[in-house]
Amino acid sequence: MKTETMTSGKESVGSTTAKLGGLADEIAVKRKRSRMMSGAFSIFLLALVLWSVDVTVIKDTDWERIGSLENVLEATNRFIGIDFELFSNLFVPALETLLIACLGTFFGLILCIPAAWFGAMNITPYKPVTYPLARLMMTLSRSIHEIVWALFFVAVVGLGAMAGVMAIAVRSVGFIAKMTAEAIEDIDYRPVEAIRAVGGSPFQVIYYAILPQVLPQIVSVVVFEWEINIRRSAILGLVGAGGLGLVFFRQMNTYNYHGVTTVILAILIIILLGEAVSYFVRRRLI
Amino acid sequence: MAVLKVSDLHARYSAKGPEILKGISFEVEDNDFFAIIGPSGAGKSTLIRCINRLVEPTSGTIIFDGRDVTKLNRRGLRGLRRDIGMIFQEFNLINRMSVMDNVLSGRLGYTSDWRTLFRAFPRKDIDHALMLLERVGLIDHVDKRADELSGGQRQRVGIARALMQDPKLMLLDEPTSALDPKISREVMALIKQMAQELKVPCLCNIHDVKLATEFCNKIIGLQDGVTMFSGPTEQMNEEKLGEIYAMEVL
Repeated sequence: MKTETMTSGKESVGSTTAKLGGLADEIAVKRKRSRMMSGAFSIFLLALVLWSVDVTVIKDTDWERIGSLENVLEATNRFIGIDFELFSNLFVPALETLLIACLGTFFGLILCIPAAWFGAMNITPYKPVTYPLARLMMTLSRSIHEIVWALFFVAVVGLGAMAGVMAIAVRSVGFIAKMTAEAIEDIDYRPVEAIRAVGGSPFQVIYYAILPQVLPQIVSVVVFEWEINIRRSAILGLVGAGGLGLVFFRQMNTYNYHGVTTVILAILIIILLGEAVSYFVRRRLI
Repeated sequence: MAVLKVSDLHARYSAKGPEILKGISFEVEDNDFFAIIGPSGAGKSTLIRCINRLVEPTSGTIIFDGRDVTKLNRRGLRGLRRDIGMIFQEFNLINRMSVMDNVLSGRLGYTSDWRTLFRAFPRKDIDHALMLLERVGLIDHVDKRADELSGGQRQRVGIARALMQDPKLMLLDEPTSALDPKISREVMALIKQMAQELKVPCLCNIHDVKLATEFCNKIIGLQDGVTMFSGPTEQMNEEKLGEIYAMEVL
């Protein structure tokens, strides 16, 4: 009995070693193949980069215009300096930029009411229609650049701050509505049950049981979006939608390089201002 | 006279899911403090939520105050719910609102959406709320936020909110399970006292058999969606309790 078990034990050890050997061969082949694959992929990637550089940088650059390194440094140097005479002309556009951001965020928030309501899976009124509709609104808002929105609204309502406000409002919907809808999907249902039980209407359920729960998140997201909107509205003038961007554009056109730097600094200052406000408001909320 | 008459009530949450209630019948009379007891998962919460249709029953009839509950339309359902106060195990208050706003929310069934938007409740509602807050002992906490209160205090807000509805019936869903034994007793005593004073019958889910026998005059015992006992509290005894809670012993 005992010897039998011993032999059978030896046999099984032998067969295991054989099996392991086979497995090792298999793994070695696999590893070699994967090494070759990653090598080939690296070569392909390098070729792609070289080709891109050739097409976009080497062939597409006006090398004569750049000239020597000296020329480049000189061109850069033109921007160093501040145009103090421009200061008095910057105040109103800077204010306009801030106001475009504020109004745009405000109207964006109003547009968010239907978008967030329809876009929250748990409260959307008629899921097969209203939910995709809201998702479409959010995607459209976010996937089209604010400059493109501004071009569109300039074509619709003409040059000026109004086009900028509209562009910012439409561009803001996506993010605010998406974050709000997600917050609504995460609510505590106990208050909802309570308001339904007292005979509350669907509006009362949203207003009393859902809104108070998501309000801090909404405020936080809106302040964050407002901060981003200052950045956005600062460049919208490039396409004629008012604010500092327009001044920037004019300095560039008249080759007043010190003026360009001045406008950039002004933009930087109001953006820092927005960031500071946003930081303090959001910190107080959390 | 029976204010609530439930007959052969069945309920399940989905067509393929298990049947939670398997033919429950009982009557709640004008002065009853009616207990529903039974182990966890017996269907107590489902039963109580069928009465105001927070859960839709699959079949059976519920007659409340002369109304056929299962056949009510949207408008009728709203009217039904505002006539039935409800108190919850975990209070279900709106945490970020004040005690006053929470109590006033008991009037939402009587308030138009337009008034709701501005939280413009009539003066008599505010007077009523203050009176109730005085009665439940929270008059010093009117402006506090609900989440600043202790568990017992929160449930008192829940009681005031339910009574704010001028209910014809109160549904109590494990009103004391989230509270410690001493506070539980106080809260039950308060509910019973207020209910008797305002002549509101109560239907109460309760886990704690001792509290049930102490405060309630009638008991229905459920086990796995089936009635195991139904009758006045005096008829309840150890043997019958053993039957109801047999599942838990196993």
